[in-house]
Amino acid sequence: MPRRRTDQERPQRRKAHHQAPDDAFRCVGCRLDVPAVAPGTAHRNHCPHCLTSLHVDRRIPGDRRAACRGRMAALSVSVRQDGEWLIIHHCQSCGELSANRIAGDDNALALLRIAIRPLYDTRLPVSALLAL
Amino acid sequence: MSTHRSITTTETFPCVRCGLTVTANAPDGTRRNHCPSCLHSRHVLDHAEGGPSECGSRMIPISIAVLRAGDWMLIHRCTRCGELTSNPICGDDNQLILMRMAVRPIAQPPFPLEAFGDL
Repeated sequence: MPRRRTDQERPQRRKAHHQAPDDAFRCVGCRLDVPAVAPGTAHRNHCPHCLTSLHVDRRIPGDRRAACRGRMAALSVSVRQDGEWLIIHHCQSCGELSANRIAGDDNALALLRIAIRPLYDTRLPVSALLAL
Repeated sequence: MSTHRSITTTETFPCVRCGLTVTANAPDGTRRNHCPSCLHSRHVLDHAEGGPSECGSRMIPISIAVLRAGDWMLIHRCTRCGELTSNPICGDDNQLILMRMAVRPIAQPPFPLEAFGDL
């Protein structure tokens, strides 16, 4: 029986870093593993599938100063002057609002559902349109 | 001492954008926080810290949100510090501006909407 040589370690390759980098996150809404790189934006802050975000920033985007850590659901869609869409997120534990740019791989159906939600309402002010 | 409480107040405020003199109470009795004509507001409450805000700048209406109950909320953004607030709409708010904000995302889509016709 060969004796184990404990004095000399077997030379082995360093393991590849299997863990995701720090910026990747798992969505709190649908548990999707989301990579940090996003087409069209340098700061991904919401899940591209269900558009849910996490309340980590307080005043400035990226400051990570909020102690809330609540789930932020997509509330509505706003349009900038240059035609770019913003998602308004609403924190479900403290009620704070935040606006985030959409990314290139965001779920278009989920975005469109939020965008047409005001028009889906039957009580919309049709009289304003008829007065035109 | 009379038990009758008068609910009619003559308190008014001038709109910071269009200068319209607006009564502080809405027709349904609630307190108003935006101009019914141009829907602009003033940043007087601090929502992140709580309490009054020393900003006092103009707040622009940027979008419409719909609650689960179907009520429309108006999302304002402060032009100076970027704070966001949401307020319920009033009965006498300018419906033309409300509709214009509701259809603006559909009018400027970031992706072609033709693909959704097949769904």
